[in-house]
Amino acid sequence: MSILYLLIPLALLILGAAVWAFFWAVSSGQFDDLDTPAVRIILDDDTKPANEKEE
Amino acid sequence: MSCDLPVTMAADSCYHCALPIPAGCDITVDIEGVDRPVCCPGCKAVAELIRDTGLSSYYAMREAPEPGAGRPPDEGGEWHIFNSDDMLTAFSAGDDELADVTIYVGGMYCSACSWLIESTVTRLPGVETADINPVAHRLRVRWNRAALGLGDLLRSLADLGYEPQPLTPDSTARPEVAEQRTALKRLLVASLGMMQAMMFAVGLYAGDYQGIDPDMQHFLRLVSFFVTTPVVFYSARPFFAGAIRGVRARQPGMDLPVSIAVGAAYAASVYATFTRGPAVWYDSVTMFVFFLTLGRFLEMRARHRSIDRSTALSSLLPNTALKLSGDERLVVPVSQLLAGDLVAVRAGDSIPADGTVVDGETTVDEALLTGETTPLVRREGDTMTAGSVNLDGNVTMRVERTGNATTLGTISRLSEQARFARPAFVQLADRIASYIVVALLVVAAAVAVYWYFAAPERAFVITLSVLVVTCPCALALATPAAFAAAGARLSVLHLLVTDGNAIEVLAKANSVIFDKTGTLTKGTPAITSIEVFDDGWEEQRLRKVAAALESASSHPIAQAFSIDAPLPETSGLRVSIGQGVSGIVDGRRWRLGRADFVSSGTARRSDSATRVYLGLDDNLVAAFSLEDELRHDAAATVDALRDLGVDVSLLSGDSEIPVARVADALDIEQFESDCSPKRKLDAIKFAQSSGKKVIMVGDGINDAPVLAGADTSVALAHGAMLAQTSADVIMPGESLSPLVTGIRTARMTMRIVRQNLAWAIVYNATALPLAAAGFVPPWAAAIGMSASSLVVVLNALRLSRYLP
Repeated sequence: MSILYLLIPLALLILGAAVWAFFWAVSSGQFDDLDTPAVRIILDDDTKPANEKEE
Repeated sequence: MSCDLPVTMAADSCYHCALPIPAGCDITVDIEGVDRPVCCPGCKAVAELIRDTGLSSYYAMREAPEPGAGRPPDEGGEWHIFNSDDMLTAFSAGDDELADVTIYVGGMYCSACSWLIESTVTRLPGVETADINPVAHRLRVRWNRAALGLGDLLRSLADLGYEPQPLTPDSTARPEVAEQRTALKRLLVASLGMMQAMMFAVGLYAGDYQGIDPDMQHFLRLVSFFVTTPVVFYSARPFFAGAIRGVRARQPGMDLPVSIAVGAAYAASVYATFTRGPAVWYDSVTMFVFFLTLGRFLEMRARHRSIDRSTALSSLLPNTALKLSGDERLVVPVSQLLAGDLVAVRAGDSIPADGTVVDGETTVDEALLTGETTPLVRREGDTMTAGSVNLDGNVTMRVERTGNATTLGTISRLSEQARFARPAFVQLADRIASYIVVALLVVAAAVAVYWYFAAPERAFVITLSVLVVTCPCALALATPAAFAAAGARLSVLHLLVTDGNAIEVLAKANSVIFDKTGTLTKGTPAITSIEVFDDGWEEQRLRKVAAALESASSHPIAQAFSIDAPLPETSGLRVSIGQGVSGIVDGRRWRLGRADFVSSGTARRSDSATRVYLGLDDNLVAAFSLEDELRHDAAATVDALRDLGVDVSLLSGDSEIPVARVADALDIEQFESDCSPKRKLDAIKFAQSSGKKVIMVGDGINDAPVLAGADTSVALAHGAMLAQTSADVIMPGESLSPLVTGIRTARMTMRIVRQNLAWAIVYNATALPLAAAGFVPPWAAAIGMSASSLVVVLNALRLSRYLP
């Protein structure tokens, strides 16, 4: 069980990194719009642009 | 993909902008194989643009369109001036290579709009990112400066039918964004802390049953202490701050017992950790904080979902102004105007700043600011108000106040304040909660004293459970959560609630009083009949002549004359302010306007504002009767209100004939004409004294005191801004039907509030005796309390999906 003395502090370090990453993401505005991303997946370009058909 | 619209639209309304299609108009657009009718060539162009760029799914995914939304603007705009480097520097927050501009996009109303805008903008050359916030109507674009001009970017948005307005970097800081970011961080710290603390708690509980190495137990407790500390000192900080505020104001809210419970449990756990005491409660602490923070976060989100009206107001200002420097006329962005600048304002332009006329004479339309629909004459020395529209003359004005200092800016600030103010219902809930809190603290103290004598070793745990389990969070959240969710739902349904009390009154209202002009009617006149005095002329021919004459004028009445047909040749058009128009049509001199203007010898006809005369060479030829058209959904709204058991009446300041005509058309039995504001107020007071709850629907400045006198007031946003600030509910559109959906949603809200209150009371009444008797351990208390709060919040959030 003494492995826990290593693994738990390691887990805490990863936790710290996760919190830091999330704080960075929030501060850079990635979470400012929580509504549009939810519908974006439905609204993808399954209709081809008329002027790009040749491509 | 299916071409069926998820929303039902009237067959005779435009596929793109949802306005009714004018009779005789036959324009269609082929969208995904189906010919869809549109109302005008402009809408056709926009619809084709959307189709040709492969974005047709916009039509399938958008919410019920607000009539008129997305309509292309009539004038071309002067976007090219935004292409200059100076201009980009003024608006960009980026560096030399990458431009970073935030644009306010007027006219977007749902997620499909934001997708359309984003898809269009990201296809422009050089654009790296485009982030859109549909709630705040803001688009932030970062692009390579060399590849694209700001003006071209704005132009592409304008082509889609939106009204773009670049914002200067300092005006883009928004308190809600900061609030939401902090709340998200607090929520995340609490949730991660809770997960970790619970994981270690499992180990500790298992150890209690199976036995655990004391060193390992101490280690797990220490680790729990490390993950719980940020939760208590960071995530739970608003609760401590709130508790201190509450105590200082001698009105303790639910933050106080929360703080005592969190603080005491944390302190006791820390003490037990370092003295190797019998038990720790880190799991209960983190769980308690997490669920409370989650509840607050959901409530905050619901609160933020109201449209940013202050920015909507600033969109009344033009983007550019014609600045006079020496003999030169420079086109500059309005944000660069300073007090003392001389500005030329052309006929048809919006006035860019507050100031005084120094040269010229014109009439202005201040309807958006004051509700005064009659155009006002402005001569040298008169004041001009930013946001009003210069109708028919070219003038030069000296700028006195710009931006936020203008009347328009002041009004925006006032509405902003109203939005951040705590509504009365929250204050009431807090007051009631504070009595309950004091009672609960007394009960907890009594329980502590009892157990101290009965079983001292259990006293702390039981008191803690009582504090946690009875926390009146559910009770305190029951009303605000439902009202916040309702406010958010209503704004999606095109109804903005500025006063939380309004929802309660909307639900209870049994009488609606309408104003006429601009409320039941559109407020813009249309020709209803033509009386021809000279038999030698055909009606159709005279209409063309009148249309040709009025083509030079931007007066509201002129719009009534415009027709969709080739106009005869005209020359020498002259607008005589306050009188009419004159000019040569097909070689003969015509006049259109007041009777005495058209034919100098006549004063024989009463000078009614709704009759416009047409004359040839000083002889009267015809008279046009103008009337204000009913809004397209006025009849349906009145019927629906009756079905809801609400009385409908009409009080108007207008004269008897038009009022009776409207009342008749809508089958309204109770109506009164020639009402002064005082008379309207008396009528409301009388209705109230006979036990009615009255909703007043209006729009003009004359209505402001009347709106305030009603139990709740509703204003159409296209009406006076002042009325908006005093109205409790605002309908930001051209239709009346949101009122009906609003009443239905409000009734649903009150049902949910009652359910929530009943649930909270039953929960607390059951949990308190159980906890006081010592049957509830702290972790179960935390789960019970959190679950009861979440039930309340989730029940309230049902409103966000409610379809009236």
